[in-house]
Amino acid sequence: MTKQVDYSLKHRSEPLFRVTKRDNLDKWKIVLLYIGAILVALIIGAILLAFLKVNPFEFYLNTFTIGLIGNKIPATIISNFINTFVPLLITSLGLSLAFKMKFWNIGGEGQFIIGAIVATSIGIGLGDKINGFFLVILMCLMGGISAGIYGLITAVFKVKFGTSETLLTLMFNYIALYLLVFFGQNKGGWNILLDKESERPKYASISENAEMWSIKLGKLDINLTLIIGIILVVLLFIYYKKTKQGYEISVVGDSHNTAKYAGMNVSRIILRTVFLSAFIVGLAGAFKITSSAHTLSDSITGDVGWTGIVVAWLGQLSPLGILLVAFLLAVLQFGISTASSTHSNLDANFADLLQGVILFAVLAVHFLINYKIVVNTDKFKAKKIAKLKLQGFEIIDLTLNKNSSGKSEDSDNVVEVSHNADDESESLAETKVCAEIGKQIEGGKE
Amino acid sequence: MEILSLFIASVILYGIPLLYATVGEIMTEKSGSLNLGVEGIMAVGAIIGYLVGSKADSMFVAMLFAFVSAAMLGLLFAFLTVTLKANQNVTGLTITTFGLGFYFFIGKACSSNWITLGGNFKKVYDNSIGIPLLSKIPVVGEKLFSYNIFVYLGIVIAILAFIYLYKTKAGLKTRAIGENPAAADAAGINVNAYKYINIIIGAGIMGVGGLCMGLNMGGTFEGSNCWINGYGWIAIALVIFAKWNPLWAIAGTFVFGFFNTLQVYRGIFVESFPNALGWLSKIPIEFYKALPFIITALVLIISSVRKKKVPDEPTAIGLNYYREDR
Repeated sequence: MTKQVDYSLKHRSEPLFRVTKRDNLDKWKIVLLYIGAILVALIIGAILLAFLKVNPFEFYLNTFTIGLIGNKIPATIISNFINTFVPLLITSLGLSLAFKMKFWNIGGEGQFIIGAIVATSIGIGLGDKINGFFLVILMCLMGGISAGIYGLITAVFKVKFGTSETLLTLMFNYIALYLLVFFGQNKGGWNILLDKESERPKYASISENAEMWSIKLGKLDINLTLIIGIILVVLLFIYYKKTKQGYEISVVGDSHNTAKYAGMNVSRIILRTVFLSAFIVGLAGAFKITSSAHTLSDSITGDVGWTGIVVAWLGQLSPLGILLVAFLLAVLQFGISTASSTHSNLDANFADLLQGVILFAVLAVHFLINYKIVVNTDKFKAKKIAKLKLQGFEIIDLTLNKNSSGKSEDSDNVVEVSHNADDESESLAETKVCAEIGKQIEGGKE
Repeated sequence: MEILSLFIASVILYGIPLLYATVGEIMTEKSGSLNLGVEGIMAVGAIIGYLVGSKADSMFVAMLFAFVSAAMLGLLFAFLTVTLKANQNVTGLTITTFGLGFYFFIGKACSSNWITLGGNFKKVYDNSIGIPLLSKIPVVGEKLFSYNIFVYLGIVIAILAFIYLYKTKAGLKTRAIGENPAAADAAGINVNAYKYINIIIGAGIMGVGGLCMGLNMGGTFEGSNCWINGYGWIAIALVIFAKWNPLWAIAGTFVFGFFNTLQVYRGIFVESFPNALGWLSKIPIEFYKALPFIITALVLIISSVRKKKVPDEPTAIGLNYYREDR
């Protein structure tokens, strides 16, 4: 055996894994990753279901067909599904506007409630006094505007004093919620939101005059709000891509300073966009009242203010993405509540659990799409070399000992190692090392 | 006098879960992470801690499992937001959704052979430990100055958290990360490791708070109402009210607990002191419920208007740190 040469690796102190940003991944790979994530989550869900002695295949089949199979009244189910889907879609679209500007409007719940309260009070107060057509439009507009103002309050503090909008909108959710509960619990001549005839406090219903119109397709009732929701998707798409205001939003979202130096009035853009964002969320609240609920309740939002945040984010803030994600989540929620109705040891809360698992998987996949992991191969190299050293091979670093390498080439027990700074030759060197190591180990054994 | 001391005792007893959740959230937020999953983490800690604890008939086991199960969710949050750089708001909300779903799932699955609160477990929970001397004061002493283990433990944890955050080197590093992770990184602090530790321990503390909440509710599972009942959200508000300081959190807990308990005691107060406190019944009960959030909103606004040189709020809160983003 020849004399050993001390070898030190350049990157030894670096961690084994390094994370770098990825520029772009093929579309089909992204789709495949998402599908994989959802499948993993569904398998976890299936295992949980099997524990409860529920047949997972049957359960999932019922979930993803939203209970349509073997049902005698599919038309009712579809219109009920639309009633879950539309509020979620419109709320998410509204929230995405603010998110695009990196304004964390998590006050969707509150804005939805304010929209619903105002729409209901107009629906009851003006009830049969004016034409139904104008009444519905007035309800929706006023619901939207009042929610917009409610959102605007938080934006004003953000713009003027830099108050944290995440925390402030969060607080405003609960202030709106208890305002709603207050109207629902306190009887009095002034409180038109309560049913006057009922002994116990009970929310009053809007008159038929104030109900949203729907289009009849055979037995199917397609509510107009669904069509408005889809038009909104298209409008927002155009707003982002083709208008000056849409462009301003994305610039402000990137950097306030860039926007300022480009001559934009940042405060005005923020105020305008937050108003619009909250307006759309309030619209969703008003729509829910006129189209399906017809009366307030303490849980009028159905948590869309929360779920909408997740939907907007997973849809990558693009209107089409939101349409897709909102649809899938609505299927999941609606489907599970119908599928679990036949099982005594399950309820609609299983949807929350499964939704959580799916979202965790999807969030993890998001990482794989946006970043890539670079493995520091030097660590492996160092290990291999150390192993070889133990076996009695001589290690020669070509970059350090150019002269000595020539001398010891005659020996059988030599591993040549070279490495350079740039990645290409590094990987070249690595393959060389590996090949050499393989050869040498074989030789050594003989 | 009896009613008053009973009232104060309930303020402390029923307010204490808030302290755990708040201290846990302060630790998390001080390291620059906004964890909106408090409600879900508490729910998971509560149900796992309760079920395992009542099976083992031991308070220690209950607390341990509440801590560990909640810390697992903290680990998940840390993994997703710190390592995988997922959006903190979205991840936190998902943890809440998941946690509540998990709570009802496990609760439903175990409801057929539910173990009611009893045995040694209950004994430890009920056992009031008097503060020496003070608890000997006639009439009020016994009620006012003796509490169960959760109250003392909560206060001790809050004080320890304060010492950790403001008096130790590790706490200084944590706060530095919450203010400016890039600078902390440049100073040689392992940003990710500190974030992980703070988030995980913070979540564990929240879980113990959840267990306390469940025991305060008598440990009976209802299919429709979660034990946590929105306390997780109040805790997030309380963090702001307490200016991210665990010692202020102790005081804040009792302020918020005061309003919560006032809702329950209002009727008794009005009956016992019709002249002095009759006006209490004129204020709608929803106002008391909204009060913690109204106060917090005001605190947020006022503190931002005053523009202190060193803001209470961690500057980098809610932002993920990625070393190559400069």
